[in-house]
Amino acid sequence: MMPPFREYIVANDDKLVIALPKGRILKEAMPLVNAAGIEAEPAFADPDARQLRFATNHPHIQIIRVRSFDVATFVAFGAAHLGIAGNDVLMEFDYPEIYAPLDLGIGKCRLAVAEPVDMVESDNPETWSHISIATKYPEITRRHFAARGVQAECIKLNGAMELAPVLGLCRRIVDLVSTGSTLRANGLVEVEHIADISSRLVVNRTALKTRPEEMSGWIERFREARDGA
Amino acid sequence: MTDLESRALLPAGLRDILSPDAEREAEVVHRLMSFFGDHGYLRVKPPLLEFEESLLSGSGTAVAHQTFRMMDPVSQRMLAVRPDMTLQVARIATSRLRSAERPLRLSYAGQVLRVKGSQLRPERQFGQAGLELIGSEAPMADAEVVVLVARALAWLGVREVSVDLTLPTLVPAVLADHGVQADGALREALDHKDAAAVVQLAGTAAGTLEALIAGAGPAERAFEILDGLPLSPAAATERDRLAAIVSLIRGAAPELVITIDPVENRNFEYHCGPSFTLFSRGVPAELGRGGRYLVAGREPATGATLFMDTVLGALPAASARERVYVPLGTPTSVSDRLRSAGWVTVAGLEMATDHLREAVRQGCSSFVTPEGVVRSTTERK
Repeated sequence: MMPPFREYIVANDDKLVIALPKGRILKEAMPLVNAAGIEAEPAFADPDARQLRFATNHPHIQIIRVRSFDVATFVAFGAAHLGIAGNDVLMEFDYPEIYAPLDLGIGKCRLAVAEPVDMVESDNPETWSHISIATKYPEITRRHFAARGVQAECIKLNGAMELAPVLGLCRRIVDLVSTGSTLRANGLVEVEHIADISSRLVVNRTALKTRPEEMSGWIERFREARDGA
Repeated sequence: MTDLESRALLPAGLRDILSPDAEREAEVVHRLMSFFGDHGYLRVKPPLLEFEESLLSGSGTAVAHQTFRMMDPVSQRMLAVRPDMTLQVARIATSRLRSAERPLRLSYAGQVLRVKGSQLRPERQFGQAGLELIGSEAPMADAEVVVLVARALAWLGVREVSVDLTLPTLVPAVLADHGVQADGALREALDHKDAAAVVQLAGTAAGTLEALIAGAGPAERAFEILDGLPLSPAAATERDRLAAIVSLIRGAAPELVITIDPVENRNFEYHCGPSFTLFSRGVPAELGRGGRYLVAGREPATGATLFMDTVLGALPAASARERVYVPLGTPTSVSDRLRSAGWVTVAGLEMATDHLREAVRQGCSSFVTPEGVVRSTTERK
């Protein structure tokens, strides 16, 4: 038959999906998730598990483990109700449907501009009108430089940003920096600070509006978990 | 890509709506308009295009960035395609209906066009249906509008309707009290309820704003928090007005879920008092929104607009009506009788040898024989 007007999956109202980011932040996030009273099934701890969705000790709560950028997308579209995402991801997408009511204080690092050590002395940022820059965060980068009248042409990379200046892809990068050792190892130096980064508890806007008690309840439990940590 | 395929491609955010959804949209709009009509709202129909300077002046500047414009070869002036109908209805109220008695209750339905869709609603063209209540400042006016649209949605079959009330004037009042500049970064942090960023940016207002963010939620809890805040007299009056409206809504529609979000401001740019957004549990996008604004910068008004694409998506799927195949040569009186009994008749245009096969081919669950209506053997898919 004809395609429906717009397919909303309205069924299964009581389900609650929590999106957690793979990798670095997950290790720091799990103690908070557990302290908030949510335990994942054993398969969740197994990095080789093919499973994408995991049951928890609450029959209606499921955890999904996805890339950090996808946490924001799942929560923005309401496919997940709660999630944990760094404000780097939130700034990059600027999704209006995501609320970030709680700073979990984990995954701390900073977003910075870096360039080769030998370039720093000769470089005068005041004279820039156009620069080319390798980054995983083209939106943040463009906005950051546009605010001071510089047009940033971004080359989108998904990892190993430090290789770009080394191999001559472009001379500058915008990337997350925590200790700075990766930069140093690649002959780069941090020249400009863009933002401090930490992970937030994120909530889908519609979920907060239509399931207010439940969502506020979880925000409170994560707040207690954070303050107790 | 063949020529035919390339012609099928529509610009982003625009679509063809087929049967049965096209009928259903028309039917739902008709039912909404009669519901509003039954409550004393008179329907008006403004045009698709207006002069840019009249459509987008005053409150209209808030939607200027959403508006398609074109040059009128006749008047040599810039025209704007309406991105929203509220502004047009307000214009009607202050021009052609300026002498009509107040309060003036007007309703409308029509298509609007926007430069960009939103993340959840990529549609650039969609239907709006709404009502405006012009010339009354009474809290009862705000309550009437909220209750009417919420009831209308429930009556159409939308489940678990909830309304989220906000005060777009509250945050600016708090910031002014503390002498804090509401710059873009702070506004953005508030829009995302990013408490950590708000605390960094808001100076002495941080404590109050943090409490307001935490206050978003069920009405009763929100008022507990709002009542405990040190608000300036102007802001406190706004809060008390909101409380009065909530209790009026509770009285008229006790089943309605009411939440309060004291910091919500997005898309309420031209609103100057209690405003609201309508949701339904399980439907990701907003069903509609509305609130208090000033007509021509002086006359108090409140209203609500429903977004028909979301409303239709929130309703149970449309079911196609049963069709009966009427072979060529059947007397008109027979198909007349079938139609008045509720059938959809599909007339054969040529003599068919196998009526059953022809009925199935044309999507008919039955066909007419001299002995009466016979079911085609197939089950509908």
